[in-house]
Amino acid sequence: MNRLPILKIVYTHLTSRKRQTIVSMLGVTFGITVFIFQAGVITGLQDFFIEKTINSTAHIHIYQDKNQKSPPVLQKIYSADETWISVPNIKSKNELPKLKRGLQIVEILESYPDVTGVSPSLSTQAIFKIGVSDVSGIINGVNIRKENQLFDLEEDMVNGSIIRLETVNNGIILGSGLSESLGTKLNDNITAVSPGGVALQMKVVGIIDTGLQELDNSRAYSSIRNAQKLMNVTGSYITDINIKLKDVDQAGILADEFQSRFGYTAEDWKEANEGIFSVFRIQNIVTYLVIISILLVSGFGIFNILSMMIYEKMNDIAILKSIGYTDIDIRNVFLLEALIIGFLGGLIGLVIGFVISWITSAIPTNIEGIISSEYLNINFDPLFYLLAFVFGLVATGIAGYLPARKASKIDPINIIRSQ
Amino acid sequence: MKEINLTINSGEFVSIIGPSGSGKSTLLYVLSSLDREYEGQVLLKDIELKTLTNHKMAHLRNKSIGFIFQFHYLLADFTALDNVMLPGMKLGEITHEELEERALEKLNLLGIADQANKKINRLSGGQQQRVSVARALINNPRIIFCDEPTGNLDSKNASVVFDMLKNLTREFDQTILMVTHDDSFSSKTDRQIQLLDGKIIDRD
Repeated sequence: MNRLPILKIVYTHLTSRKRQTIVSMLGVTFGITVFIFQAGVITGLQDFFIEKTINSTAHIHIYQDKNQKSPPVLQKIYSADETWISVPNIKSKNELPKLKRGLQIVEILESYPDVTGVSPSLSTQAIFKIGVSDVSGIINGVNIRKENQLFDLEEDMVNGSIIRLETVNNGIILGSGLSESLGTKLNDNITAVSPGGVALQMKVVGIIDTGLQELDNSRAYSSIRNAQKLMNVTGSYITDINIKLKDVDQAGILADEFQSRFGYTAEDWKEANEGIFSVFRIQNIVTYLVIISILLVSGFGIFNILSMMIYEKMNDIAILKSIGYTDIDIRNVFLLEALIIGFLGGLIGLVIGFVISWITSAIPTNIEGIISSEYLNINFDPLFYLLAFVFGLVATGIAGYLPARKASKIDPINIIRSQ
Repeated sequence: MKEINLTINSGEFVSIIGPSGSGKSTLLYVLSSLDREYEGQVLLKDIELKTLTNHKMAHLRNKSIGFIFQFHYLLADFTALDNVMLPGMKLGEITHEELEERALEKLNLLGIADQANKKINRLSGGQQQRVSVARALINNPRIIFCDEPTGNLDSKNASVVFDMLKNLTREFDQTILMVTHDDSFSSKTDRQIQLLDGKIIDRD
């Protein structure tokens, strides 16, 4: 089959009705641009958030779940189906959330080949005081070198250094938000008071800004020894073990293994952030719905314009058929016109979408929220560009096919006779 | 229409005449493959039109049939040359250059070669109709069907176009079947078929 005349007709149709062609192209362009921009912003934000969260949560966190209540002892004596037992107001046993043999567990964990870092710690609530201002927070007793190996604390330091936690006696590193609400500067002396009533003079040796506001507003780091002093416990006392792995995706399996081996709760990072991921899932559904409806609207636009064009070109169709063009030729002419509109409109949409995303990502936004970031993090994943383009082509293909098929079925005699 | 029995020989210039409503155009459409909802037989060189698929029908129209209508029925967005070339491009038997040469030759034959690169809507009615004659000729069809080819033209242009058609039958042995209500033209054709109320009443 000779394709040349079809291309010639398509070209002439598209160029002789420039405004119509451009308007329908803009419909596709707009849809694709929004697709690229919205998908880029939403997933960029999510990726940024996930990265930050993974970086600041351990891949596996081992601790003792204090809130498990032991069943009443009476139940062991009387079997339940013969006797009614009612024990109101059950309380947890007065047990410290201590990990027994904690330091031995750390040693065992360090011998796992999949584990790249282990950091034992203990944490307690504390009230920080300087002058008349006081703010409550959480003090984390850590081995700062090990903790740094896990969470890259050094990178997030805005003032001071992590090593001074070891060199300065009674040193403390404050989260940026915490330090701000206290009004402290580097080298200020503050008082930390534990729930047990122990007070300790401490010196601010560093200020840390992770970008996760909840952490920055409440967390402080001290040495393990100082935290133990605050809690009034012995030197082997630790409450948490954080673990970093070679492969993040192994976290779930290994967490189960550790839990059964050591008898303490082991939670992987996905479990710990379950809430966030489910929010993301809903967010993604909404995003895709919006994108699909925009493409649907531009699809209808193309459908309308092509239907109108076919109505206008009724005569041309009759002429072409009377001089020997087949039904398929006619269908291909209009289908090809739709696809060219989709192709060019889509291509322009990709470029505009990229440019808008790029400009947005370069403008400082200084977002302050659950996370803080200087720039909007935008995802430039080529997969989105491919997906948007394919979707645009498919939508225009369908929108073009229906009127094109209608055009191919026009019988020239009806047009010629009516004049 | 009924009891139509009609044969057109190769090289003949035949006209169908009759008052309006007598069925001239309907007969032309049936004979020319446009209207295939008839009872009976229409044979074009032994091929029964009804038996052809749409696809084969299109090929037959492309190769063997030329049309000239009362209204020029040209593609308005294209140039005169492109309009003439379109059926040839579809047929694709000769190269683009040869086709262009042939199209210019046909336009020259009709005296409008100088208008070749103008858009259709820039041409006068007479010129447009001559372009459609050139288009009908491009694939050297076996037969050309004309439906009131001069009906929309002033008398001067009408006789120019008619003389050209007549010239084609004389010099190139072109078979032409023409519907007209103008007796002054039909009387100059080889044969007149007169219709009244759907029947042939006189065949010269």
